[in-house]
Amino acid sequence: MLNVKEMLEELKTSPYEEIEIVTPHTGEVHFVGLKAGDRVAGPGGKWGEKPGSTLATITREKNKKNICATQKGMVTDIVEDLEGKFVEAGVRLLTVRHFLSKDEVIARILKKALSLFCAPERAKYYFVPEVDGKIKAGGEQSVKTRDGMEMFIVSRMKRETPLSYSGPEGIIYAVYFQQGDNVDAGQPLIGVCQESQLTLIQDVVNRVQGEWEELD
Amino acid sequence: MDIDKRTRQLSARLAYIRDIFGPRENASSALLTHRLEEFLNRAPELGVLDLRREVDRLEELFALLEGKLEDELTPMDRVRIVRHPQRITLKDILENVYDNYAEIGGQDEWSVDPGMLIARATIARRMGRKTVHQPVMVIGQEKGHGQEFRNGGSIKPFGNANALYYMRVAETENIPIHTYVFTPGAYPIEDYPGAAQQIARNLFQMAGLKVPVVSVISEGGSGGAEAIALADKRLMLSHGYYSVISPEGAAAIEAGLKKKADRRLIERCAERLKITAKDNLALGLVDRVIQEPALGARPDNYEFFRTLRREVIRATDEVVHAAQGLGPLRALVLRHRGGVDPQDIFVRWSLSSSAREALLIRRREKFRAMSAHAFVDNRSLGTRLAVGLARGLWQVHSLLRHDIFARYKRRLSGRIEQWEAELRALGLGMGSLLGRENGGACHGVPPEALSRLTTLSCPEEGVCRVEDRWVYVSPKSREDRTVTCPNAATHGCQDLWAPDLYGEFAGVCAHCGHHFPMEYQWYLYNVFDFAHAYEFNAELEAGNPLGYEGFDLKLAEAKRATGLGSSCITFETRMEGVAVVVAVLVAPFRGGTVGAAEGEKLIRAIERARIKRLPFFMYSHGTAGIRIQEGTCGVIQMPRVTMAVRRYIDSGGLYLVIYDTNSYAGPVASFLGCSPYQFAVRSSNIGFAGPGVIRQTTGLEVPPGYHRAFLALSRGHIQGIWDRRDLKKNLHQALLTMGGRNLYYR
Amino acid sequence: MRIMAACARLGHEFICVYTGPDAASGHVRMAAELAGAGCLARIRSYQDPSELFAVADALGADAVHPGYGFFAEDFRFARRVRLRDRPLTFIGPSWNVIRDLGDKINTKRIARSLGVPTIPGSDRPIFDEMEAAELARTIFAFQLEQGIAEGCVLVKASAGGGGMGIEEVYDLDAFRSAYRRVRNYARRNLSDEGVLIEQRVFDFNHLEVQIAAERGGKNAVHFGTRNCSVQSLGRQKRIEAAPGFDPGSIDYAFDAASVLADITRHSVNMALAVGYDNVGTWEWIVTPRGEPFLMEVNTRIQVENGVSAAISRINGADGVNLIAEQIRLGLGEPLGYTQDDISFHGAAIEYRILAEDPQNRFTPGLGRITRFSWRAEPWLSVSTQVPTVLSGEPYDIPMDFDPNLALAIIRGDDLPQARARGEAFLDGLDLAGVDASGGPLCTNVAFLRARTQTLLRF
Repeated sequence: MLNVKEMLEELKTSPYEEIEIVTPHTGEVHFVGLKAGDRVAGPGGKWGEKPGSTLATITREKNKKNICATQKGMVTDIVEDLEGKFVEAGVRLLTVRHFLSKDEVIARILKKALSLFCAPERAKYYFVPEVDGKIKAGGEQSVKTRDGMEMFIVSRMKRETPLSYSGPEGIIYAVYFQQGDNVDAGQPLIGVCQESQLTLIQDVVNRVQGEWEELD
Repeated sequence: MDIDKRTRQLSARLAYIRDIFGPRENASSALLTHRLEEFLNRAPELGVLDLRREVDRLEELFALLEGKLEDELTPMDRVRIVRHPQRITLKDILENVYDNYAEIGGQDEWSVDPGMLIARATIARRMGRKTVHQPVMVIGQEKGHGQEFRNGGSIKPFGNANALYYMRVAETENIPIHTYVFTPGAYPIEDYPGAAQQIARNLFQMAGLKVPVVSVISEGGSGGAEAIALADKRLMLSHGYYSVISPEGAAAIEAGLKKKADRRLIERCAERLKITAKDNLALGLVDRVIQEPALGARPDNYEFFRTLRREVIRATDEVVHAAQGLGPLRALVLRHRGGVDPQDIFVRWSLSSSAREALLIRRREKFRAMSAHAFVDNRSLGTRLAVGLARGLWQVHSLLRHDIFARYKRRLSGRIEQWEAELRALGLGMGSLLGRENGGACHGVPPEALSRLTTLSCPEEGVCRVEDRWVYVSPKSREDRTVTCPNAATHGCQDLWAPDLYGEFAGVCAHCGHHFPMEYQWYLYNVFDFAHAYEFNAELEAGNPLGYEGFDLKLAEAKRATGLGSSCITFETRMEGVAVVVAVLVAPFRGGTVGAAEGEKLIRAIERARIKRLPFFMYSHGTAGIRIQEGTCGVIQMPRVTMAVRRYIDSGGLYLVIYDTNSYAGPVASFLGCSPYQFAVRSSNIGFAGPGVIRQTTGLEVPPGYHRAFLALSRGHIQGIWDRRDLKKNLHQALLTMGGRNLYYR
Repeated sequence: MRIMAACARLGHEFICVYTGPDAASGHVRMAAELAGAGCLARIRSYQDPSELFAVADALGADAVHPGYGFFAEDFRFARRVRLRDRPLTFIGPSWNVIRDLGDKINTKRIARSLGVPTIPGSDRPIFDEMEAAELARTIFAFQLEQGIAEGCVLVKASAGGGGMGIEEVYDLDAFRSAYRRVRNYARRNLSDEGVLIEQRVFDFNHLEVQIAAERGGKNAVHFGTRNCSVQSLGRQKRIEAAPGFDPGSIDYAFDAASVLADITRHSVNMALAVGYDNVGTWEWIVTPRGEPFLMEVNTRIQVENGVSAAISRINGADGVNLIAEQIRLGLGEPLGYTQDDISFHGAAIEYRILAEDPQNRFTPGLGRITRFSWRAEPWLSVSTQVPTVLSGEPYDIPMDFDPNLALAIIRGDDLPQARARGEAFLDGLDLAGVDASGGPLCTNVAFLRARTQTLLRF
């Protein structure tokens, strides 16, 4: 049904993802002396309250801000030409190669194993307050899904309509969208784990824990 | 066997000496080490009699050298004595000082807070042939000779709450309270209702506790100590310390928080802070010192426990005597106590109701007089006389106007109201009897009413309503730059233009409502109308009562930079026509710390408000706590000002506290936190100790935003959170709705 | 687009800013064509003023045009433009004028101080319940005297807006509870207890007077009136027509010509009195009995300026461009003509074609345009950002903005002719698409067609 081994092998061939760091807005960019190959740290602290390593600074209207790494990884490519220049919003400054951790690998494989419920149209999605409350209180896996259960609020053009879940019964295993962000049609919203799949998922977790080597 | 035991004791004594003097090289301890080793080496060869003689000699030598070492003790050595696991604990005292006791609410670690020990104990006294068992409530921190679960006597909020509860029980039962202070400081976690808030509640209640309270201080660490140490008689053990902050903490601040302070600096700080019993006695902050044996009392110093017993009995007797008077003979004996054991003279410890009031008055006077010379008073003799005279006149005025005149007026107006109501009822009844028509009166609107609908109303107000203009505009608004809101990442706030933000928006993020800190002047002028206010006691300035090295310079620098004499400004102003007394703690002056001058100014402001029956607002623009360079002169302001507040509130005033930016430690744990009406300006932080200190003292990491006003609100510490721009309106609303019965405008 | 066109026409260089999703849209392409890619700057968000200033400083701009929305009525933005260390010229009125006229209550008070008619009711926030009740009683009596059988009073929070904190009251008994509800709402949510009481006017026509005034506020002229009464549910305009009334072809129950004369006279007087110094719109409502009330002042150029320009002539010449006038005046140039030099000719209708469903509360439609074309006529001008018109490629309607497809202006020698041409245009329009579910895309063409006949009527 699901070839975990094959997928692991596939991921092992490129065990990282590339994160492009772009300017959040216009301004004058200064790099902080990083070179390609340097390691950077992601947000730290028990609550993720410490920002990641500073990658560059951007100054707009005499207001200097740090651009920080969102994940730990290795700097691969810096657009040095932009040093001290005024740049527009959304310009790539550098790329961070982030090596996947075990949890991330598990999430990737599970995304293929779980039964996904996808967005029917491009819109902003929210959980209905009841579900939202449960997730906030007890985590994602505390919500049981049923066919026809009212689960989302779809916000499009400032109008909100409810959306019901359809698919197998189970528990929400993963949430793939940020509430309030635009989701394209066909993108998965949640991954639901059926009761019968629990053993399979345990298997995936075990194998990844055993076989995946975290690169740093 | 006997010899064995005695040698073991001797080595224990030596180890203790080494612990106390730390790594310092010391001739006496070296000599003792050498002699003991020598003896131990030779021991197997000696006969029984020789052994005994040798041990006798050694013991003599130990006693001699311990006496010599006693004279060499530095303040830091005393701190080490107090912290030593062999130091006597409250349990030892209960066993040895009291005749009988029962612990209440705790068996070792099974307790609300194992660090706080509460016991009902009795002291047996002879009355001729009869023995009378006098009950007392004993409350204190138990360090448990190093037992982990006691947290070294650091008390969590619920421990202090429990202590407070049993103080109330003692009050109900009318028995005296003995408190024993063995704490390095309160445990700084913000459990319900907050560490600072609970200490403030304790202080507030103790300020009005109507039974004699005697406290004995062994280790008095700042706020944690004050939570149970507000007493009628404060005794101190000769080797104890009583301090605003641990010497390590002071050194860390001195050295700058990032660096680690070295041992020498810690020693120096311990010396400068004047933390020993002798120093505190000299400063007038404790009443008596109880002499301990050389190098501090340990659990086997039975003679010391007898002394302690005598002293606490005597202290309690004195308190009772001062409050209600004794028979002339006993009073005489008490005064000349030469040779007579106080427990042989019987004094009944339960007070009559009139004595309870007298007790309070004496307690108030006692604290009022403390630290009277610890600040700089620049007022001329004439001013002082005039102030004294004015005070007297106001007292008479208030008495006449509010108590005597107002009573008649109330009575009269009550009568008139009744008559009027009667007449109305009569008219109404008559009207309906006569069948007068009241309905349908809205036909035929007069033309001038119609013209009101379409022409400009109130032309005198001007055509355009001008946006609320702030009287004082922050200088930060003059710079053309943008500022990023700290909530930008989570709330998506845009950068704010400084002239908008610090000008029109009054430092509030237009998108998420985050409050950027503003200068205290902004509040003075825009909220309290300082331009038309009458400031008083500006001449009382912060001083350097301990002669803390290097502090004079820092103080002068603060005075120069801010143009203020202390971190406290007190003034009388009008808000929407109502006169109020306002005190402001100013953050830029040494972090808004409170010392003797600030405490004195606050007390005087509170007294002024009480005598003139004005509401009293306390605005904390930010305070970092008690000014550590003033040592215990600063700490004592906590109970002092709280006493004044208690008196003010009891006399029916309105005491309202507003927190802004960051308010921490001592002031929050006393006179700020004891207000029944505490409000915070949005985005302020309120707490006992900052996250860094919590990490250092407890090893716990606290989540970001731990001290946010909203969390303080949900803990039940504060009563509301206000927008800075609405402060004036909310204060006016408070004037109308809150406060006691004795306000002049009621 | 029209702003850029006007700049190009006046010979000014310009910088066009855009956000990520707009990179392919019509106005960015047009900017690139008109001024080259160097004058394009990608920014984070149109709503972030710091972005505009950063771009303006980096590329050395001298003046800022605030567009139609967001910043055009934001006096803080205008103030910042002026008070920065490197001040720019703001193409719009002075910031203090924007501030005074940006507040409806202020506008009402200014109007009343000049004798300009306003809706009966309070012109300042009321804090006292007795006073409010007294006002409401007077308004009910006033309506009764006017012969309005079903009187209605509006109670609204003075600091509110956007339809929150407003209640309609139909009789005096209900007033008190409504007042308290609104006051409590205001106290809780707006921390301002002030409440406004005014008459609710039904069945009115929405007229606008287009004003232009030069810097210094000494000279002001008007470019006639327009009628914007055809609106969607959210009071969004769908058809505008100029002039505001047409006594020549329609019978009114009142002297329409003198109403038009009154409102233009009042508008110009008020513009002069407040020192208005750019183009702007005075919005009026006219009741079925012909009473005009000033509603508010829009201190900006509006999308529908083209319909006024279409019937105006300066010194007898066609082709008035109000955006060009706005830029000219904003840069401090004098008007160069007087009211006497402006003449009006014929009638014009502007249609706003949107992807929305008029049957279903004007729900915006999402989907893809597959065909969009019309027959070119000398009396017709259409502006659109939909590229399908030129290229024939399908176009996905962007999500985050109103689904505006096109703006069409039809000119005629008189109203009946303009109406007939308008209907012909709508009939001949070839517009089709599919919505998200695959069905045909909803547009408001039929709605516009149906309303054309009743234009300018009550």
